[in-house]
Amino acid sequence: MLDLRYGTPSSEGRAVGGREIVEDRVRVVIAEDSVLLREGLTRLLTDRGHEVVAGVGDAEALVKTIADLDAQGALPDVVVADVRMPPTHTDEGVRAAVRLRRAHPGLGVLVLSQYVEERYATELLAGSSRGVGYLLKDRVAEVREFVDAVVRVARGGTALDPEVVAQLLGRSRKQHVLTGLTPREREVLGLMAEGRTNSAIARQLVVSDGAVEKHVSNIFLKLGLAQSDGDHRRVLAVLTYLNS
Amino acid sequence: MTAPASVADRADGSDDRLPPARLAYPAHTWKEIGHLLLNLPVAVFGFVYVMTAVFVSGLLTLTVIGLPLLAAALLGARQLGKLERARARALLGVRVEEPTPLPLVRGGGPVQRLWLALKDPVGWRTLLYDLVRLPWGILTFCTVLISLFVLWPVLPFVARGLANVDRAMVRGLLSPSDELERRIAELESDRGVVVDTAAADLRRIERDLHDGAQARLVNLAMGLGLAKEKLLEGRADDDVAAMVDEAHGEVKLALQELRDLARGIHPAVLTDRGLDAALSSVASRCTVPVKVTADLPARPAAAIEGIAYFTVSELLQNISKHSQARTASVEVWRARDRLLVQVRDDGRGGADPDGGSGMRGLAERLGAVDGLFVVDSPPGGPTVVTAELPWRDRTE
Repeated sequence: MLDLRYGTPSSEGRAVGGREIVEDRVRVVIAEDSVLLREGLTRLLTDRGHEVVAGVGDAEALVKTIADLDAQGALPDVVVADVRMPPTHTDEGVRAAVRLRRAHPGLGVLVLSQYVEERYATELLAGSSRGVGYLLKDRVAEVREFVDAVVRVARGGTALDPEVVAQLLGRSRKQHVLTGLTPREREVLGLMAEGRTNSAIARQLVVSDGAVEKHVSNIFLKLGLAQSDGDHRRVLAVLTYLNS
Repeated sequence: MTAPASVADRADGSDDRLPPARLAYPAHTWKEIGHLLLNLPVAVFGFVYVMTAVFVSGLLTLTVIGLPLLAAALLGARQLGKLERARARALLGVRVEEPTPLPLVRGGGPVQRLWLALKDPVGWRTLLYDLVRLPWGILTFCTVLISLFVLWPVLPFVARGLANVDRAMVRGLLSPSDELERRIAELESDRGVVVDTAAADLRRIERDLHDGAQARLVNLAMGLGLAKEKLLEGRADDDVAAMVDEAHGEVKLALQELRDLARGIHPAVLTDRGLDAALSSVASRCTVPVKVTADLPARPAAAIEGIAYFTVSELLQNISKHSQARTASVEVWRARDRLLVQVRDDGRGGADPDGGSGMRGLAERLGAVDGLFVVDSPPGGPTVVTAELPWRDRTE
């Protein structure tokens, strides 16, 4: 399977003015009510060579900022939003994300949360898994993986937290089919559902790309799914399968 | 001087309209009469029900379905009682609480449930009620019917007298059994409050964690992650040192926040040393000097101690934040079977017990244990808040 996003030559960095600037530079808007975390995220993404266009503290401001930026023709690549924000501190972030995705299909939305709930993920993924991410907030500690996820979502990919995937796998009614998978295939299925590309899965499991491709086609065969090209569509297929 | 007025009334032509048709008796008398007349058909129905139910199930006790049938009859009697209460409420104005439903859903096996239904006092009293209603129904029906025709002027008094007997019967036989039933209802509502305040507490703790220590730890993890990346990239410069230094500071702050939070939930010193020591520690964290006087011969029950502590802690926080007081004092003492807590400050006053969720929360929490919460805070101060809790001895 051709991988359009990972390990392409363009993502190799070059240093400009003492700071590493990656070709994969994405424009980010951050929505997070804790000033501490907003600034931390801004610093982290800026340090990794990305541009933080704006930082806001609640969902209303987020929707407005995106509308303003869109009007100026400067829509960001991705929004990183906290689930819980003022005024009600419940699920504003998810609702704003769903709204934004409907209004701006090209915009990537990565939702961060203190707890991940499969239910929220299902709402976010309703319709399309293009350019959507849902991660546990703690994942920011793994800077490289987190920044990878931001870039992936910005480029139209998917980033689902392993915990969400575990919940989906756990509550899926297709247990009898899932038990038919080898442990390695289950592992690959999980990583696939997280939104990883074949080469990323290969790197994670320290195997060759070819081996991963073989596992993937075995999985699709066993689950009775049609092989689909494009990683995000593949994620959707897997998720739909698990959820049905 | 009423004559001119009545002349004027006639003058405007209102005299050609007939006065509105009026019943000779007021509505409540008609309701009573209606009730007394209805007594007969209702009583006949109830009597037939009782006779059938009791005798059929009595005869069948020789077989296996006798007792279950009797239990069903008793449950049915409860329903009859419900109808009678509704009738009395509508026609006699007697409000009688509904008895607590039998806890059949909770009760274990079928035998236990059967026993529960068989010894149901409400059901048996309703059966008794239905039995005595027959002669009484015949009596009221005949008396009222005859009076309607021959004793028209005194009927209201007769009806009132008979209806009063009816009222007494409904109150006596159809009300929830006794004090115990009422206490259960009260306790159920108290338990609701306790559950609500417990849920509110949990939400508050969760919010505190989310906004405080958790955010700090995430930020810390992010900082350390970034520093690690830099080290891996071989860029161990001052940048990294600054990041690690910052992270170190964050850890200390997070620890402090967690400690404060834990103390807010339940301070260790309260468990170990009691109210006096724990209150001294809260007082020392208040922004104004607080004098603590605790005069307790012994320690109260842990739950009471906890509520007293929480009340003082919340009030002192209010003083720190809003009162602009220069000094404050906390007094705790025991008066017979009550524990009294009084917090005063010389601030600007105007504290509203219904204003903030904090004050309301305290009042609810105290109410849940049969306590009292009194706020005296005139504008300009001083503010005196008194909380009264039942004294319960410590069990361990």
